[in-house]
Amino acid sequence: MRRFFKIYRILVAQNLKRIMEYKADFLTGAVSFLIDQAVGIAFIFIIFSQIPHLAGFTFEQIVFIYGFSQIPKGIDHLLTDNLWCVGYFIVKKGDFDKYLTRPINPLFHVIAETFQVDAIGELVVGIALMVYVSGSVNLYITPLSVALFIVVIPFATLIYTAIKIATGALAFWIKSSGFIIQMVYGMNEFAKYPTTIYSLFIRTFITYIIPFAFTGYYPCIYLLTGQNPLFNIGGTVLISVIVMLVALLIWHKGLSAYESAGS
Amino acid sequence: MKAGIQTLIAYRMNFFGFVIGGLIYCFVMYYLWRAVFNSSGSDTFMGFSMVDMTLYLFLSNMTNQLTFSSVCDSVGEEIKDGSIAMRLIKPVNTDMSYLFNELGCALLKFIIFAVPMILGLEIYRFVMTGKVMFDILHFLLYLVSTSLAYLVSFRVNLCFGFMAFYVKNLWGMSILKDSILRFLSGTLIPLAFMPDVLRTTLEYMPFSSMNYTPVMIYMGKYGMTEIIFRLGVQAVWAILIYALSKLIWFHAVKRLSVQGG
Repeated sequence: MRRFFKIYRILVAQNLKRIMEYKADFLTGAVSFLIDQAVGIAFIFIIFSQIPHLAGFTFEQIVFIYGFSQIPKGIDHLLTDNLWCVGYFIVKKGDFDKYLTRPINPLFHVIAETFQVDAIGELVVGIALMVYVSGSVNLYITPLSVALFIVVIPFATLIYTAIKIATGALAFWIKSSGFIIQMVYGMNEFAKYPTTIYSLFIRTFITYIIPFAFTGYYPCIYLLTGQNPLFNIGGTVLISVIVMLVALLIWHKGLSAYESAGS
Repeated sequence: MKAGIQTLIAYRMNFFGFVIGGLIYCFVMYYLWRAVFNSSGSDTFMGFSMVDMTLYLFLSNMTNQLTFSSVCDSVGEEIKDGSIAMRLIKPVNTDMSYLFNELGCALLKFIIFAVPMILGLEIYRFVMTGKVMFDILHFLLYLVSTSLAYLVSFRVNLCFGFMAFYVKNLWGMSILKDSILRFLSGTLIPLAFMPDVLRTTLEYMPFSSMNYTPVMIYMGKYGMTEIIFRLGVQAVWAILIYALSKLIWFHAVKRLSVQGG
């Protein structure tokens, strides 16, 4: 375990050096994601200029959910961005062999290789939005609820990572799975808004099949109402562990099916 | 053009991923708007009924696919890896070779994606309102307008692609471009819903020419005089952006430095 941390530290430091070298790049990336977020908020704002509430939620509550949903997304983006490359071109170009020849776990190596600072845009906006509206929404605050809410964040992040691992690993069979990652990952759009606005089918789908609902709405609704901690928080933990296990299983199956590609 | 069609067939999986991704997004928006309509307590929201809104969402997404241009990424990539140099020494007009490549894609997309989509939307509209509302004149004008939109979109994307001469983070640039365009072109939220000043400004900017105008024409939201006027605005922008892309090109190509060999 210590060894992993040490390797990770070295790789991240290497990445940070690269960022310092290309400062303008980093700024473009961070500003891009910041503006992307601003557009999302402008959208909610324009809608709410016409209606007092949305499916029973106030503007502030919707912003709170939106803001929270960006945090697991941002953490995952920060740490595991390289999984996209596995799906899009690492396997296709035959570059994956590199990871197999190193004396560390290939999955760990793939993930540790990139430290994507662009994600700062999402994280900053997410946190800022939650802080900004926290005064005007009625939060259910007890030491326990806050602790649970914080504990749930890494688990919600696991859901994102697991989905990327599982869909990225499909590249081991079909060489390029970037479009599948894109498609499944794209469903995180659903997580930004209360799940109650969707039809029963979609709600079930994003709760139990591609469980993005647990990366936004469910943890938030716990902090907003204090109800159902078992499902809202416990469910997130349980589901995230399950999807992660499934993802790892797919990854390992994929690794054994992997045949090098490329010239 | 043929090469473009072949590329699309070869990468059909990516294409389907893109289409399905777009449709998922449409459904999220559909439910969101349904919630908005339910909460607003009236049948129309700023002149749009729910049927209008659904039509708008899907049409806007479809128009986006049709006018989609990846020239930003391809030019950017070529500038970054230096292969643009190869294009420069060929006796073919650089941007024309991109353009025809993409037209092939657009044509194929129209047949396999847009036709079923329009059919589906018209059936939906028939079921919801009990009337056949398909209007061949508006449809033809939509096609004209979409072609103009494509020209504008191609040139705007080209301009963004040329930014690779100045910035190296292409991925960031393309996120930036997409989110700006999504907002300004009315894909995210119809311009009609925006405050008056903003709406009028945006209607005269090149971005509304890229998506909003054709969609509104199809939906029959514009009268005949306004359609002609809007098509004129699109044409003017197509020319202006063309000039701009040329200008950037001549300026940028001078400071081109190819990294590596």
